[in-house]
Amino acid sequence: MINSRRWRYGEDLRGALVALALGVITSSAQAACPPDATDGAVLKAGELVLAYRPVLAGKPGRIPMAKHFALEVQMCDKAGVSIARLQKVDATMPEHRHGMNYRPLITPLGGGRFRVEGMMLHMAGHWQLVFEIQSGKEATRLTDDVQID
Amino acid sequence: MRRLLIAAALAALPTSAAFAGEDFSAAEVDRIAVHGPWPLPWTADPGNRVSGNAAAIRLGHDLFFDPRLSANRRVACASCHDPARGFQDGRRTGRGLVTGTRNTPGLFNLRHQRWFGWDGGHDNLWSASLRPILDPREMGGKASRVARALRSKSTLDCHYAAAFGKRPDAGDPELLVNVAKAIAAWQETLVSPATPFDQFRAALARQDAQTAAAYPAAAQRGLRLFLGRGQCATCHAGPLFSNGEFGDIGMPFFIKPNGVDPGRQGGIKRLLANPHNLLGAYNDDPTRDNATGTKFLRPEHRNFGEFKVPSLRNLTLTAPYMHNGSLATLREVVKHYSELDEDRLHADGERILKPLHLSEAESADLVAFLESLSPDTPLPVPAAPPAVASCR
Repeated sequence: MINSRRWRYGEDLRGALVALALGVITSSAQAACPPDATDGAVLKAGELVLAYRPVLAGKPGRIPMAKHFALEVQMCDKAGVSIARLQKVDATMPEHRHGMNYRPLITPLGGGRFRVEGMMLHMAGHWQLVFEIQSGKEATRLTDDVQID
Repeated sequence: MRRLLIAAALAALPTSAAFAGEDFSAAEVDRIAVHGPWPLPWTADPGNRVSGNAAAIRLGHDLFFDPRLSANRRVACASCHDPARGFQDGRRTGRGLVTGTRNTPGLFNLRHQRWFGWDGGHDNLWSASLRPILDPREMGGKASRVARALRSKSTLDCHYAAAFGKRPDAGDPELLVNVAKAIAAWQETLVSPATPFDQFRAALARQDAQTAAAYPAAAQRGLRLFLGRGQCATCHAGPLFSNGEFGDIGMPFFIKPNGVDPGRQGGIKRLLANPHNLLGAYNDDPTRDNATGTKFLRPEHRNFGEFKVPSLRNLTLTAPYMHNGSLATLREVVKHYSELDEDRLHADGERILKPLHLSEAESADLVAFLESLSPDTPLPVPAAPPAVASCR
């Protein structure tokens, strides 16, 4: 069942319908705010909560090494679904001082959800995923450490 | 599913596994497991509509060995990609119509690669197969010459028609791409056999201590170095022993006289300008899902002087080594990493490469391990694929 609060905007609904048509939404991606473990890794900064989940060949999975994957992202805040924009997603290897060889594309799906395509962590080791979020004039940066073996 | 089963079997091992002296920890066993199983499952290339097509495979084989595609009718694909040498030529740099500037890569296991060429200037095998045919330094071919060669032999003509549903016509804008797709279809069938390392890995998976003990102790010590202090698996990852991407390892990129090889930086430029890349009209995958790598490429300054991380399989067949063929032996390769000149590395490039300072014994162990990634018996020259029934 879809939480009515999540679909209060027409554009959200249109985005959701498009996404449903494309088959990119899975049942757990429709979880209510705040996201829980079934939505993937959960990151927090103040009232903002971001959950991300890797998707490989259309199915949820672990982040692979040296293979392309996508991320499904859900953002929530104290009002429920966040209207903040996911501005940039990247990944770096701090010890290696370099990032990915690919520039991901972020597609807003509505309802605080985004799809990030074109990710690839091409080496084994410690990576840091970086999410840059813009809400009005306020910028938030969330990071998550990931070990790739 | 198969990988999961092997992972489960490995997980069931004790916390360490000792075979003929080396006591691998559970973590090391896990890291060994990711370098297999071998061979990988084969799937058709969605970007090549004749991938797996029997007529195209036979046609591709015959064209691969046909020197009439070249300007002087003396240079075939097989002139540089010699089947008796792992489809390499043993030369420092390849020699077609003239001598080139890069080492000729071997052709095994191409179906599992993402980028082709030392600079990754191609994102698909058929495009990479077309380049040398047309390159005036390599074969110097052209459509009219290719069409004439195809029509001159009934078996070529027939297999072309069987694969593509029409006769070869020099005026057909698809002719050269079709020829390249047929050659790619044949090359995709070239899969190297399991190696002593693969047998060791499989023995670990099934807890077969007797078979595992047959893996030489020196190779086991080299494997431990490879996974551990050497950090080689950081880039030489997975069953292919390559992450399929690019790196700067401090090899010179100067070309005599007065030139430089820009490596990946130049490769990205060539790739994006190439009408035969996977974003173009000749990609047979209507979903374009196979074009993800090209679509999302991010050119970086550090790409200058980066070259493809080669697979480490079949190294004993494909000396000399590196993009410029400057290292004659595996011992020299290991010495390069042992005595790495950090001043040659890019200031904005990879920062984990450090000289390994290996002892003589450690170097020999690492070489023994690398040698174990090649078949331990000579490989027969692949036989011609069978002709399709309608062309016999």
